[in-house]
Amino acid sequence: MTSRPDASAKIKAAAPKQGPNRILIGGIVAAVAILGIVLAVILGSSSGSSGTSGSSALPQGATGTGGGIVANASTAKAGAPTLDLYEDFQCPVCGKLEQVFGQQISSMAKAGDIKLVVHMMSFLDAKLGNDASVRAAAAAACAADQGKFLDYHGVVYANQPAQEGAGYTDADLMGFASKAGISGSALTTWTKCFDARTHLGYAKDVETAAEKAGVFSTPTLKLNGKDLPLQQLSQQYLTDQVKAATK
Amino acid sequence: MASRRGERRADLVGLVARLALGGVLVVAGGLKVAEPAQSAMAVRAYQLLPYDLAGVIGHALPVVEILLGLLLLAGLFTRVAAVLGGLLMVAFEIGILSAWARGLSIDCGCFGGGGTIAASQTHYLSEVLRDAGLLLCAAWLTVRPRTAYGLDHRLFGQEHA
Repeated sequence: MTSRPDASAKIKAAAPKQGPNRILIGGIVAAVAILGIVLAVILGSSSGSSGTSGSSALPQGATGTGGGIVANASTAKAGAPTLDLYEDFQCPVCGKLEQVFGQQISSMAKAGDIKLVVHMMSFLDAKLGNDASVRAAAAAACAADQGKFLDYHGVVYANQPAQEGAGYTDADLMGFASKAGISGSALTTWTKCFDARTHLGYAKDVETAAEKAGVFSTPTLKLNGKDLPLQQLSQQYLTDQVKAATK
Repeated sequence: MASRRGERRADLVGLVARLALGGVLVVAGGLKVAEPAQSAMAVRAYQLLPYDLAGVIGHALPVVEILLGLLLLAGLFTRVAAVLGGLLMVAFEIGILSAWARGLSIDCGCFGGGGTIAASQTHYLSEVLRDAGLLLCAAWLTVRPRTAYGLDHRLFGQEHA
């Protein structure tokens, strides 16, 4: 036994090392997995479009952190139903909706027949790989501070790019301000608000709040909290529904 | 038993199951991994989990899918990967079936996309059937992880199948 010690060592060395090998590879795979998942979660949550602080400045007419903007607080009658409008400035169907129903909705708002609350969503930024929706929403929020929300909102949709994804440059959004009738010192204030990204946090909060409320597509219309089916939407239908919901 | 030929045939069935499940997972994860915000929203659209948890899952899921898919394609730790992949499929089935039952109209977001779509655009049945097929693959590999051309066999020898 003791006479030939090197033979057993040789046999041992020749045998396949199964156990440690498997554990080592498994450990490496697990480490890569954990690292990848942690990295993805950190990168993902810092990529912006998910919720923010909530400490951001609220534009005039906003119902609260992440709340929509009440477009006609001064004119809405007491018994008027609330029409919540969820839109994304880059959504082509929203552009169509504005084309067909924009006039009707804003005149109902001006007459006070509805309380119009506009929620400017921005989830298409993630889909389209830009940030035009959230910037446009922030710009419109600055217009709300100048009492020109609906005007600005209308101008953006009137100038929606023909191709989805082309987005809006900052120069586009600045040009929309004067088209919306913001001028003089109001324009100076608007520009300051826009340049400082004052309402960008608010715009992000709106997206978060809308998703929390279960809205994952635009346009979504809710009359007193009830979904209005887009397929059935016509000017007559909208008028009837508003009438029925009026107290 | 019809031993060697039967065994070989079963190895090949395992290979097909492994490539099907692994391939689909890699493709599904790969299409989502570059768009974490989109993936997070797709999970939120199911309205099953709290907002923040859904976000974390949305961000992590593509990486998990890719890793499990790669293990399956390589045939490395086949049984563990198959069990985890099978659990993923069960979770997906629960999500899709519950969305269907609750009358939501969402895209499953399985291969990117996701979120609400028109009711006429939903295809819950085909999504459920596809994931059921993949679940079957996972079940086969869990019961019999030995497959043809797998790394497990080559690296770790016979007893590790």
